[in-house]
Amino acid sequence: MAQDSVGLSSDYQFWMQKVSTWDQASTVETQQDTCLHLPRFQEFLRQMYEALKEMDSNTVIERFPTIGQLLAKTCRNPFILAYDESQKILIWCLCCLINKEPQNSGDSKLNSWTRGLLCHVLSAFRFDIREVGLFTQGLGYAPADYYPGLLKNMVLSLVSELRENHLNGFNTQRRMTPERVRALSRVCVPLITLPDFEPLVEALLTCHGCEPQEVLWPEFFDAVSEAFLLKKISLPTSAVVCLWLRHLPSLEKAMLHLFEKLISSERNFLRIERFVRDSSLPEAACHPAIFRIVDETFRYALLETDGAPEILATIQVFTRCFLEALEKENKQLKFALRTYFPYASPSLVTALLQHPKDIPQGLWHQSLQHISEMLREIVEDQTHGSYGGPSDCWFAFIHFGGWADVAAEQLLRSEADPPEAVLWLLAFSYSPRDGSQQRAQTMEEVKAVLGRLLKLLRSPGFSARDVQAAAGQSREEAPRPLECGPLIRRLLLNFLLWAPGAHAIAQEVITLMAPTREITHEITGFLDQTLYRWDHLCTAAPASRKLASELLTELRGQV
Amino acid sequence: MESLLQQLARFSEVLAVSRTPHVSTWDPATVRRALQWARYLRHVHRRFGRHARIRTALERRLQSQWRQDSGSGPAPDPGLTNFQALGRCDLVLALRLLQNRALREAVWHALLQQVFPGPGVPGADEETLQGRLAHLARRRAAVHVLRLHGYQESPVVQEDALLKTQAELLLGRLRERAGAQAEGPGGLLSGLWERGPQDNFLKVLAAALLLPPPSPRPQEEETGPGTPNTPGEGHHELLRWLLGKADILAAFCRRLPAGVVAGVAGRHPELSRVYLGLLADWGRHLHYDLQRGVWVGAESQAVPWEELYGRFQSLCQAPPPLKDEVRTALESWKAQDGDFEVPGLSIWTDLLLALGTGT
Repeated sequence: MAQDSVGLSSDYQFWMQKVSTWDQASTVETQQDTCLHLPRFQEFLRQMYEALKEMDSNTVIERFPTIGQLLAKTCRNPFILAYDESQKILIWCLCCLINKEPQNSGDSKLNSWTRGLLCHVLSAFRFDIREVGLFTQGLGYAPADYYPGLLKNMVLSLVSELRENHLNGFNTQRRMTPERVRALSRVCVPLITLPDFEPLVEALLTCHGCEPQEVLWPEFFDAVSEAFLLKKISLPTSAVVCLWLRHLPSLEKAMLHLFEKLISSERNFLRIERFVRDSSLPEAACHPAIFRIVDETFRYALLETDGAPEILATIQVFTRCFLEALEKENKQLKFALRTYFPYASPSLVTALLQHPKDIPQGLWHQSLQHISEMLREIVEDQTHGSYGGPSDCWFAFIHFGGWADVAAEQLLRSEADPPEAVLWLLAFSYSPRDGSQQRAQTMEEVKAVLGRLLKLLRSPGFSARDVQAAAGQSREEAPRPLECGPLIRRLLLNFLLWAPGAHAIAQEVITLMAPTREITHEITGFLDQTLYRWDHLCTAAPASRKLASELLTELRGQV
Repeated sequence: MESLLQQLARFSEVLAVSRTPHVSTWDPATVRRALQWARYLRHVHRRFGRHARIRTALERRLQSQWRQDSGSGPAPDPGLTNFQALGRCDLVLALRLLQNRALREAVWHALLQQVFPGPGVPGADEETLQGRLAHLARRRAAVHVLRLHGYQESPVVQEDALLKTQAELLLGRLRERAGAQAEGPGGLLSGLWERGPQDNFLKVLAAALLLPPPSPRPQEEETGPGTPNTPGEGHHELLRWLLGKADILAAFCRRLPAGVVAGVAGRHPELSRVYLGLLADWGRHLHYDLQRGVWVGAESQAVPWEELYGRFQSLCQAPPPLKDEVRTALESWKAQDGDFEVPGLSIWTDLLLALGTGT
């Protein structure tokens, strides 16, 4: 407590000086400085209130003898009063100054003075426009009656001036000079979260004049971005696109915000989808410049986290939402796919874009073959053609994660020999950087495991130990935890979900497979992703779905 | 319903008293009851906002309560006169009481505590009284900030935010009075003129006369007897009053910019006739100064040539039929004067020459 009050005292000195300098914030410098400090000052007011409410009026004056001055100067600054909740907290602070039992004339005078200041904040005669005040009084109206309408009309007229500016770009007679637009964006900073101002914020963002350099105040963009991310203001997609195009840091902040939300919550495709949709990024990404930046940020995040499954999942969800938004766009001008994926060949992207649910299941293997061939060509082409090399086409591939999952599933559900193209695709998706020899080895290993698993399927019954052996571990007396790479694990899990006889032993096998927390997470992630995918494909057999669901619940309960 | 209407009537009285020194007799319990009452009426507003028939009935009753004695005077107080006002009545009451110095100190402290209980009170800001009072203070600061640093007066009066708002309020009041079938708006309007500032009043009048007539509110499907929602009703009243007041009319035509008066004249033919008559009168008061070669007036208040010319120019730029009427009038005055083609003999000739044969 003592430490708090020391901190508060020094803050008090700081803010007292600031507020004195700002006075009525009538110059550009004082306005700028005020707007920069608004959130912190509000926090200070809150702390003051918390301290003041514990004291009675006399103690307040003892502790903070100049508090009257501080509060009075604050009342004179319309930018502070216009910001968020500052006016409310200020009123609460003033209420704390009231002496409930005035003993002498000094106390009464203070009360009277406080009362006057309170009335000023609430009724703000000094702020009123004289002619309007007299006129409305003559009509018998109170400020509560007409201020909302007045504000609405002012905002409306400014919006139409801005739009006029926008449409008659070259008309030299326009009233909205760049200086005026700039000043307007500056004074709007405290007011962005006031609902009446939404049309004006939108107009400032979307209406440009024809100056080559940015006209709006940078703090304006920061304030809008902050308010938008905290959901204190709602903007149409067109305004958000303008915000992000005109002010790159806002886009960066939006992506950071998304990543923070993703990290702090458990990996769950439905949740990821909700966060992504919430962020307005898919709709905004229909604009290629925004898509490119978002995409590059994802790529960077992948590199930094060494291919973290959460990032992979987010990229997949984002891509799907983006494609939905793109389809809904009715614009005349539709950008070619090349603009969004310049690092991949158009034919590859077109093939990847096809959603499995749009192709009859019987033809999936054909699509897989086609995709695999195209990728292989790029990867094994030493000259690297006109498009990027292996890492680029792998990055393009993982946007559309559905195909890797389909590949794994298909391998286990068909009785025939695994086609080499599909094996290659699977190996590539897990280890894009392998050399051709390493990859060939992986393919052989997978083929062997598949062969053994399929043999199990044909046998009358099998145990968990049988599965363990199929995965490549020799039979030993004491059961050991299964050691295998993520690719083999994926195959095993698919096997468990699809093999008719596997339901009974599924839990046991998973226990063998998952000695560490990391692997458990990997498995829950896989199950969650599979369920999500099945729901969107509207395929899956009910039995498999039920099993997957049960296993997932079980695993989640363990963590 | 009847009891609700009675409550409304009694609350209106309480609201009226809250501004007077009579509150010195109030104690904290009275204040609390008054605020509770206001809260109840706000609840009524929310509850019946979408019921067109109940809303209409309430509104009719409220309008009929328009206090006859409140038309003019230093600070008219019509009380609750429309349904919307119910939604705000707790705000208005709280503000009136807080500003009323006649309220005893202890009572004022109790009021403050009731109105501003501090954080931790359940309910979103849009609902609580303290939230809405803070919101109103925020909006006032917003208007102030905008006005000083962003807003610019518009030459088009009915689009200028300040004038437009005042005009809308004026027309709203006139509509209410028409509904109340009270005496004409004369008292109200004359009171506004006397209060001043007069220039502002004239501009607001012009804006009001130029505003497009309001579209009928969607909730009002039935137009029963006495509902004043006929578009343009407010315009008629205003115009009728203005045409009956020669001096104010002269000030209107003289003091407002040429373009504005031309706009109003274009919308309202009765005014254009009077305006032309005034212009003719002003024109005849000028005589030609041979030495200087210009038309001058005898008195200092005479309308100078430049202004006369400017006003006619604006009229000639107005859309037909006004434009043609003006031309016709000028031609006929020129003819009456002798139909001279030479400058310096008839002001109408000179004006026509200056205006040219342009559109």
